[in-house]
Order: sequence, then C-alpha cells, then structure tokens
Amino acid sequence: MRAMARTPRRHSMVWLQGLGCGAVVALVPAMALLLGVLLLPGVLAVLYDRQGGRPVARTVLLCGTAATVVPVLALWGAGDNMDACLVLLSDLRVVGTAWSAAAAGWILAELAPVAALVVLEAITQTRAARLRAARQRLVAEWGFDET
Amino acid sequence: MLTFRQPFAPILRNDTSRGAARMANQPDTLIADRYAVLLAQPMPEAGGGLPTFAAKDRQTGDAALIAIQVRRDMPPRAHALQMLTGQIDGLLMPLAHGPAPGLRNEAGYFVVCPAPPGPPLTGRLRPWPEAALIAHALRPIALALEKIAARGVTHRGIRLNNVFEGQRGQPLVLGAAWAAPPAMHQPTLFEPPYSAMCHPAGRGDGNIADDVYALGVLLLTLALGRLPLAELDDTTILRRKLEQGSHGALAGDERLPPIISDLVRGMLAEDPEHRPTPTLLLDPGVARSRRVAARPPRRAQRALPIGDIAVWDARTLAYALAAEPEHGTSALRGGAAVQWLRRSLGDAPVAIKVDDLIRQRLSDSAAEESRSDAMMLMRAVATIDPLAPLCWRDVAMWPDGLGPLLAAAPGEPALAANLEDLIGVEATAGWGALRPERCDFTMLRLDARQYRAWLASRGIAGGLPRLAYLLNPLLPCASPLVADRWVGRLADLPASIEAAIAANPKAVPLDAQMAAFIAARGDSRLEADTNTLSGTAQNPIGLPELRLFAQLQLRFHPRPLPALAAWIVAASAPMVALWHNRPRRQELADRLRPLAQAGMLPPILALLEDPPGRNADASGAKLAAAELNRIDAELRDIAAGTRGRSDTAARIGQEIAAGAGLAALATMIGLAVLG
Repeated sequence: MRAMARTPRRHSMVWLQGLGCGAVVALVPAMALLLGVLLLPGVLAVLYDRQGGRPVARTVLLCGTAATVVPVLALWGAGDNMDACLVLLSDLRVVGTAWSAAAAGWILAELAPVAALVVLEAITQTRAARLRAARQRLVAEWGFDET
Repeated sequence: MLTFRQPFAPILRNDTSRGAARMANQPDTLIADRYAVLLAQPMPEAGGGLPTFAAKDRQTGDAALIAIQVRRDMPPRAHALQMLTGQIDGLLMPLAHGPAPGLRNEAGYFVVCPAPPGPPLTGRLRPWPEAALIAHALRPIALALEKIAARGVTHRGIRLNNVFEGQRGQPLVLGAAWAAPPAMHQPTLFEPPYSAMCHPAGRGDGNIADDVYALGVLLLTLALGRLPLAELDDTTILRRKLEQGSHGALAGDERLPPIISDLVRGMLAEDPEHRPTPTLLLDPGVARSRRVAARPPRRAQRALPIGDIAVWDARTLAYALAAEPEHGTSALRGGAAVQWLRRSLGDAPVAIKVDDLIRQRLSDSAAEESRSDAMMLMRAVATIDPLAPLCWRDVAMWPDGLGPLLAAAPGEPALAANLEDLIGVEATAGWGALRPERCDFTMLRLDARQYRAWLASRGIAGGLPRLAYLLNPLLPCASPLVADRWVGRLADLPASIEAAIAANPKAVPLDAQMAAFIAARGDSRLEADTNTLSGTAQNPIGLPELRLFAQLQLRFHPRPLPALAAWIVAASAPMVALWHNRPRRQELADRLRPLAQAGMLPPILALLEDPPGRNADASGAKLAAAELNRIDAELRDIAAGTRGRSDTAARIGQEIAAGAGLAALATMIGLAVLG
C-alpha cells in the first residue's frame, strides 16, 4: 500500500533533449549552428539560473528567440547551407542584435521584480498610513490607551 | 407666680416643618410655628436639671411656658411626645417640640411644656405630715401616672428636682421627663437597683412600676424631710439596696407614719410585679393592705471576693459579675462562683444551671473567645438573678434602652464596640430566653434579629449609626457637615447641606453619618439608594450619591441648590469619565455648567445617567474596540509581511518579464509572417 501511495518517479528528459539536438545537428547543421550561436546567452542563462522555473533564463531565451526569428528566416530563404550561415554569423549586427535582445531580457528579468516590489511597498505603506490615521481617530474619540 | 394650668390651644404635635425649614439659627424661630424660646430668661430649676428657658405662645400670648433644651446625643423621647397630648393634671405635658437656636446661637432643640407651678422640692425639703403626703403627693402623682400608663408611657423622671410644689396645700406636679432618654438623669437613690446599675442612657422606658418605685422614694424622702442615705455615693447606695433590699436600705429603722410605711414597703419591692399599681395607690388603704411576701435574700456563710466586691448573696453576685466582668469571668470559669453558690449559699439549683452554662462555654471553643465569655457572663447574671438587666461585658442595660444607648455610643468607643457585639450575637434574644416569664421573648427575638440585620447593612450607610437613627426617631444627623444645625428630618437636610457647602466648598457633602441618617429616615426607595452608595475618600461622589441627592431635592426641597450642584459638577469628572466617547464627554461638561448654575440636581442626574445614551456609548465603545483590534492586527500583518511582499514582487516581476519576452517573440513572428 505504501509503495502504491508513492508519487510516480519522474524520468529525466535530458536524453530526449540531447537526442533532439543531435537530430537537429545531423539533419540541419547550418540552422543548428546559427541557433547555437545566436541563442548562446540563453543557453548560458539556462545553465546558470538555479531558480525554480528558471525565470531569468526563460526571459533571456524568449527575448533572444525573438531576435533570432529574422536570421532563421533569412538562412531558410538562402537554402539552409553552411555558407549562408557563416555569412549571417559574420554579420555583427545579426549576432549583436540577438545577444542584445538576450541582454535586454536579462535586464528585464532583473528589474521587473524590483519595480513590482516598489509598487507593492508603496501600496502597503499607503494602506498602513490610512490604518494608523483611523486608529488615531478611534483612540482620540473613544479614549483607548495609547499602546 | 406662674401656673401651669393655662388655656392651651390645640397642640401641634410632630409638625415642625415650617419651623424646621427656617431653623437655620434664626433668632425668631418658632417651635411648631407658635412657641418662642425666650433665651434671655433662663429657668434652671424648672427643667429637672436640663437647661431650661421661659417660652411664650405667640398665638395666645401665654408666657407661662418653659422650653427644655435637648442635648444632641440625648434624643428626646419620641414615643412619649407622640402619645402625650392634651392635658393631665399633676404633670407638665409636652406641648410641642422642635429646633430653635440655643443660648450661644447654636443649633438647639426644645421641648415646650407648661411652666411648673413653683420651685422644685430640692430646696424646700421638710417633713410632710401623713395626710398631706397622701393628699398632695401620693394621690395626684399616682393619678398622673395612671393616666400616662393608660397611654403606654412611663415618666421615669420622678426625683426631687423634677417635682414641683406651688403653694402649700396644693398638689405636687411632676416635671417634664421628655427631653432626654428615660431615667437618664435619675439619681441612683430614686431608681430601682436594677435600673440604677445600668448605663444612664440604657435604662429604657421600663414600666410604670419603676415610676411607682421612684414615687415610693419620694414619699419616703418627704416623710423624713431629708434624703435618705444622702451621705453615701451612688455605688454604695446601689450595693446597699441589693444587699439589704431597697426598703431595708432606705427606710431601715426610720420611723414613718404607719400608712406611709406600709405603702413605701410595697412600692420599694425589688420585683416590679410586687409593687402596687398607680390605680391601687389612689386608695392607700387598699394599697397598704396588699402585701406581697418577699423573702429576704439568702446570705452566704462566707463572702466570695470578685474584684473589689465581697459577695454575700446571689443578687450581689449577679451585680459583681456585671460590674467586674473580667474578675467575674475568672470566677465563673475557675469554678469559684459555682462552688460558692453550692456550698456557701446552698443554692444548688442555680449552681447547677450556672455550671451548665460554664460547660457550654468551655465546649464552645470554636467561637470567638471574647464574645463567648461575654455571652456566658450575660447568661450567668440572668440565671443567678432573673430581675437583673442585660449585662454584656461592662455594659448593663435594658433592651428598650438600646436606642438611647446607641445615641450615646459615638462618644464612648468601648461602649460602641460592646453594643456592636451585643447586637451581632442577638444577645437580647438569648437574655430573654433565660427569663421568658419576665419579658416578651417573641418580640425580643424578632427585634434582635431585625437589629442584627440592620447592623449588617453593607456600605457606608450601615452599621451602628444607621441603627442609632432607626431606634431614635428624633436623633439629629450627627454629620460634622451639618453640626451647626439641628437636622432631625430629611426635609431639613438639603437646605442644610446647601448652606454647609456654600460656607465651605471644600467639604464633602455626604459622609457615613449622613448616609445612615438618610437610610434610617427615608422610605424604601431612599434606603435602596443609600445601600448602593459607593463613594470613597478619593472619589466621594458618583452616580449613586448624585441619585440620592436628586431624590432628596425632588421630594423634600424642590428649590435650587446651586452650591451643592456646583460642587457636584466640579467633582463630576469620574461620572463623566464613565462615558467612553470623548466628544460626548466634552459635550456633557459643556452642558453641566449651566445646569450647575440653575441648581437643580435631577437634570444633572438625567444628563449623566441617560441609560439609552450610555447603552449607545457602550455599544459604540465595543465596536470601536473591535475596530481598533482589527486595525492593530492588520498593522502587525503589514509589519511582518515584508518578506512575503518581496516574494510576491519577485514572482510578479518575473511573470511580467516573461510576458514581455513572449510578447516580443510573438511580435517578431507576426512581423515575419506578415512579411
């Protein structure tokens, strides 16, 4: 009975991801190279982000991926060959844009919680001030001890 | 020469209201609205020893009156003043009584009577012939006694300085005996020994036989032309009366006219039941023939020393136990008294009874030592001499003298303590139970229980003062606040308080004496109000006190009392503080000021009491407290929620960032698809 109550064991999906990546590298090596270079900050973020759900890596990947759409379409339009891939990778604007987007994603992921905290604190302090004022009014009106 | 037979107009008895209302030491105060006290004409010999002045009836112009001044702690005899109306020959009847200023403009109280027909017998002693004694002394006084006895009153003031003689050949006239507690000023010589041994204030009304005794002494004195035993002090006279019997002690070997001798023998009998009645004395021939065989007291073979008293007979033993309570208790507990009763006196039945009492006392170890000893002593005295009065420690008294005794108690702390104990254990009931054939035991028991209940009344209005006022209907309020006035009725109290507070605004208008006075004189509602009084030295006035004052004003003095109202408003902070709502408090304070100037207490009470308002205030305070608690809880949550808010902010920020990234990706895909 105790064994039946145990939560089902979660199997690692790393091997499946490796298999997918291997298949992409084998089938479309130019596309894989382009994606690998352009999404390198995102991959690094995934490796270094230890938070649950990897929120920073998620934002970095999303922003980086947004900047990868145009080069991927361009590579696909150029026949998906290694030369076109190298041409694209040699263009600093392509790589710079992709990495800048990833950096923007990282900054956004870092700043958004701070901004949210500032807003929340402001709301809370406003509420506390209102409560203190109401308390003072009650004390003054009903003569409760100032404790 | 003044004569007491005046055409008196109808007597206004117990109606001193208008006079009392104007009493405040006004020189023109009239007693019962008609009798003026002429303080410039003192008549020291006319009042039987009490301060006496001439008085005048303003309605009839009759100036042949006297006003006898009453002492504050010796209240006049209310029952006698109530019952004695009209005219009785041979007696100075009370015409009216009421407050009026005294000689030094102090608050006084006077009993107005007709002036006596001449000087008292004190300075005119001479041997009276037998016929004159019978015709001018015995018969007129016996007749007067018969008439007052028919009204349930005793005189208790027959003594040389209170019996008056007009011209020779005229009947003697009994003086007034109404302005002080019964027999209070009687010398030991004229009192039966069992009354003389009592505290002067505790002799009680007694019965008409006590007057017959005093009349017997008077007859003896007049027959001899001198006071018997004049050379002896009171204690010696008393002991001689007890040891030899009154007749033996006073008449002794004196040669008296035969009829007088026989009459005096009967009139001086120790047992009141053996004395002839006043009716019988009207016919001396019959009275002298009524002889009751009274055995002389049995004398012991050897004396029993109790303190300084050498006891030779049972009566003296009872007296010694009462007079020397500590030595008496030792003699009882040590067995000496019982042994003496059994062996020396040979009175085994009494010895057995006393022995039983002592055994009962010794087995009563749980009770309070002092009270048990006092109870044993009281029972022993009553057992040894059933004629003796109630003896509690060193106080001897008759139960009907308890009221005046309580009035005298404030000046004697030891007496007050003894009386408190005596009432607390219902000693009078215990005393009556030992001699039921000589008293109305049922009434004694009921009275004792009632007195104990009154004594046990809680609060400042309870205790001995309340009992003293209850048992003395004419006792004035003894509060120091109204000490310069004679406040004998509730109707006089509000104006007196007002005057006192106006003169001394720092004084507190209600103290224990006043509360007890109000509780005793008031009806059940006022009594209930006094029972709730809760004033303290720090906080002398609260709603119960204000309620009481408002009731007094409403019912007895419906006129402004601005000084009292101002005092109450000034001291009303604790009452205002009973309200929780601060703005309401301020509003109350603002509204109280004009009410204080108006001097009416009921509106002040209504404002401060206001039950619906107080309920709303209490409800509001409750809600406010709940709201305050909620706010405090929320503020605490806010203070403790910093970490939680950080986590929330981080989660929200991450979601926002992810959403922004997703939006960018969607936008780029959309742009790519659209070309």
